[in-house]
Amino acid sequence: MAYDKPIPVRGTHTEPFWDGARAGRLMLPRCCDCNRVHWYPRHLCPHCHSERIEWIEASGEGTVYSFAVQYGAFGGWSKAVPFVSAYIDLKEGDRMLTVLRGVDPAAPETIRIGAPVRVEFEPADDQTHIPFWRVVED
Amino acid sequence: MPGILYKAAAIVGAAEADEIGFLAEPITSLELHIQAIRNVCGQTGIPISQIDGVFSAGWSTELCEHLGIQPKYIDTTAVGGCSFEMHVHHALAAIHAGIIEVALISHGENGHSARKIGGGGSNYARGAGVQSPAVEMTSAYGLASAPSHYAHAMVRHMHRYGLAREDYAHIAKVTRDWATLNPRAAMFSKEKHPFGGPITVAQVESSRLIAWPLTILHCCMVTDHGGAVLVTSPRVAASVRTRPVWIAGAGESMDHGNMLEMPDFTRTSAARSATAAYTMAGMGPDDMEMAMIYDSFTITAAITAEMLGLARPGEGHRLWKDGHAAPGGRLPINTNGGGLSFTHSGMYGMPLLIEAYRQLSRTAEDGVHGIAGKQTSARTCVVNGTGGSLSTTGTLVLVAED
Repeated sequence: MAYDKPIPVRGTHTEPFWDGARAGRLMLPRCCDCNRVHWYPRHLCPHCHSERIEWIEASGEGTVYSFAVQYGAFGGWSKAVPFVSAYIDLKEGDRMLTVLRGVDPAAPETIRIGAPVRVEFEPADDQTHIPFWRVVED
Repeated sequence: MPGILYKAAAIVGAAEADEIGFLAEPITSLELHIQAIRNVCGQTGIPISQIDGVFSAGWSTELCEHLGIQPKYIDTTAVGGCSFEMHVHHALAAIHAGIIEVALISHGENGHSARKIGGGGSNYARGAGVQSPAVEMTSAYGLASAPSHYAHAMVRHMHRYGLAREDYAHIAKVTRDWATLNPRAAMFSKEKHPFGGPITVAQVESSRLIAWPLTILHCCMVTDHGGAVLVTSPRVAASVRTRPVWIAGAGESMDHGNMLEMPDFTRTSAARSATAAYTMAGMGPDDMEMAMIYDSFTITAAITAEMLGLARPGEGHRLWKDGHAAPGGRLPINTNGGGLSFTHSGMYGMPLLIEAYRQLSRTAEDGVHGIAGKQTSARTCVVNGTGGSLSTTGTLVLVAED
């Protein structure tokens, strides 16, 4: 079945992220001057304002910072409710929004803040593979 | 100790559009603006032609054109629901600087009618073409409504402080109690709205899920609302027929636009905007005798009460649960019935201002805007608006005339 969820409009400076995603790799921007990772991609480092930014391949590991169970949503997601959205603290630093996999939306009390997660990618079209995060065993 | 700008500028009037709430006949945002402006000028006796500064969330050029005025100060700050608290901050500065004497702050938003005829409140557009990288990296996941975002803050706050959802449900229950004292509130009574009248904590908890843990009664409504306030110099304030309410302190701040960038989901920039407002006022949270707090969701009110220093971190909800915020309590909060039960058109900062003015000018019970028990004895009020996804905040410290 064709991918029926929203597909992001690609920006002008995020190609390394989407190229990486297509190859199953999580790419993150890191500042060459202060060495800190940031997310989302910037034109300058939000920590030290350097414009020297490189892309690194991340571990694809993180933990659940917070989550919610969505009973209404937009686009194709409206047919997928309820689903669990979550913010993921990345191992390399900073945070990413996702739809969380490997959890039961009907039992939010079983979802644990701090639970370890791993990234996976789902092809939306030839160019765009969307990152999702899945709860994994400790 | 009086603050550095005490009696530099006053709110001298506050009025709503003729009808607010769930309007049967669709109305435009512009019409809601104009009705409120006409009403506040009628209330104060200040003619529209005397307005020399105009402040709105994106509407200022259209309003000035419509009113046929050419003001000396034009501010169209649109940063969500707290824009109007920031407008007061900016008007205070402009008046104190001697640039203007009569500032109009106006709001019109047909959140309810827009479903039939289109429209909305914030008349500003983001840049066309390629969107921001924050949107690019979050748009895949289907979240676009306010509750879908705020629910994440509630879960983190519950986790950090070991709270249950029911703890926050008391906020909705107590706020509804206030609404039953306000005939203008959308949820005033069963006669006014099928879901109106008093509610219980159990009802809040068992209502329909919107975004777990938020049930619908943890969420504000989406209604039609227009409102306007006039802020003037002391000279003008002395000449009008209404009572002044003095702007003792004002502050504004922000953390982020997109919630992706919110550093700590249990804190907002109200900690900073409130510090600025209290410092300017030479007062602190213990001096506040009531509060008007943007309650887009119960969690918004709980966190904000903590940021304003009215409760310790993790204990904001106790102000409602223990009855302090309720009618007759020691610290009345959201005495109009709040965004939860009074009205909420999308941006709720204006109703906060109007109710704070009414309470401190002793007009909260004039037969139109309240019935016995709604008027409090408070002489000081902290007002806090929150915009976006717990993104932006504006705080005011208001003081009644001696």
